[in-house]
Amino acid sequence: MDSLFAQLVVLESSLALIFGLVLLWRRGVPAYVNAFTWQSIVLALVAATVAWFGRQRELYVVAALLVLLKVIAIPRLLARMERRFATERELAPYVNTATSLVVAGLLVLFGYAVMRPVVAASELPTRAAMPLAMGLVLVSLFVVVSRKKALTQVIGFLVLENGIALLALLGAYGIPLIVELGVFLDALMGFLVMQIFVYRIHETFETLDVDQLDRLRH
Amino acid sequence: MVPWAIEIVQAALVLALAPGLVGVVRWLKARLQSRRGAPPWQPYYELRKLFGKEVVVSSNASWLFRLAPYVVFASTAAAACLVPSLAVGRPLDAVGDLLVVVYLLLLGTVFLSLAGLDPGSAFGGMGSSREMTVAALAEPTVALAIFALALSAGSTNLGQIVGRTLTDPAAALSPGHLFAFAALFVVMLAETGRLPVDNPATHLELTMIHEAMVLEYSGRYLALIEWAAALKLLVFFALLGNLFLPWGVAVAATPVALTLALGSLLLKLAVIAVVVAVLETRVAKLRLFRVPELLSVSFVLALLAVTSSFLAR
Repeated sequence: MDSLFAQLVVLESSLALIFGLVLLWRRGVPAYVNAFTWQSIVLALVAATVAWFGRQRELYVVAALLVLLKVIAIPRLLARMERRFATERELAPYVNTATSLVVAGLLVLFGYAVMRPVVAASELPTRAAMPLAMGLVLVSLFVVVSRKKALTQVIGFLVLENGIALLALLGAYGIPLIVELGVFLDALMGFLVMQIFVYRIHETFETLDVDQLDRLRH
Repeated sequence: MVPWAIEIVQAALVLALAPGLVGVVRWLKARLQSRRGAPPWQPYYELRKLFGKEVVVSSNASWLFRLAPYVVFASTAAAACLVPSLAVGRPLDAVGDLLVVVYLLLLGTVFLSLAGLDPGSAFGGMGSSREMTVAALAEPTVALAIFALALSAGSTNLGQIVGRTLTDPAAALSPGHLFAFAALFVVMLAETGRLPVDNPATHLELTMIHEAMVLEYSGRYLALIEWAAALKLLVFFALLGNLFLPWGVAVAATPVALTLALGSLLLKLAVIAVVVAVLETRVAKLRLFRVPELLSVSFVLALLAVTSSFLAR
């Protein structure tokens, strides 16, 4: 029973990490939104798996909220923004694709190294998947700092949030429901604020290229 | 005697199935694109016709050009015999090492590229240089993905990897296996010249790779090369199917087990053929300069596979 649980969680976490890596390889914003949506579906599956095997009923609520917020609501808002800024593709990130993929590989390696003591100390059946979640956190952080467009950076941030949620699910079977609700609200608020920022940046500079923000100095 | 009989049956089966597999992929693609398409057994007709045709060789071509088709076919057929498509515990398992299989396939690639350069046509040289670029980038990925599998099985022997996964089914879902599968799948697309790396359906594109190299061949040489290409596709499909999902592979040499093995092999080939056909219908060919990026994706996946097999032991 426990080994099936461990296998399923590892499988789902690997998928989540792969969808995180997709961001580094694809360029169009719709591809980013798709990857984020699929990753959120996988995250909801992780929550449901932990709920079933770990007998945590609250996590079913979390899984449902994940589907509502990250699979339906936020991708829709992102798609609307994408329609408005259709020309804003991530053509030239700060780090080119091949290098950023290798960096991502090293970051996951680093994630394994960092999580080693935690995995060794943990008794949970989900422990084998924790390094993958840590890897996802590091990779998405790298996405945020290496992309040039505000919109792709926002999606990178959302994936980072997914990574942290995954780590919480694996490491502690989720956090108390009330905190989880707060986090969801925070994520949504953060996203809305960032959306307003993106609109403002586009209005002022007529591009989403964050390099252009240097012009503030003048 | 029985083990060698199984060996011969398997070799004959693989050789006979290969053109049909290519035909099935083509037929599925045609159906997905709302075309009627040639029947799946069309490649057999083509091979028969090509074997009956006269060979035309450029006057600039050397002996290498005439030798290459035989080397390509022989090396691919040898690799096809080593892959445990039907059963494990066969006599050839003793030499059936993953590294041997991969480098036998690479030997064919090298000779095909040399043959592309040999007659001195512009197209052939272009195709060869591209093929070498792709092969050089796919190589480290294959090596790493193999190491990931070998680490979890404790051996690079194909039969032992399959046997190990059969005794420990949970290993098939470990992150090492998953990442290695994804990496090898991408490499399979690149090595067998499928979309999005190469377009197997056309002779007319400036971006073609495999077709550009074989442009100068005709008659039985072309037949051998086409057959070898089909075999290579089958080898990769069988590797993907049997290394990662080995269920159905016969462990004992009983008629029931072998029939089951044949059924499961056909099922796995059909499933992978459907996946490839759907993928080829959905994606467009990549610009040549984006191919290295695709291959670096698979390299990173292979790296992750090794990492997680090594650290999660």
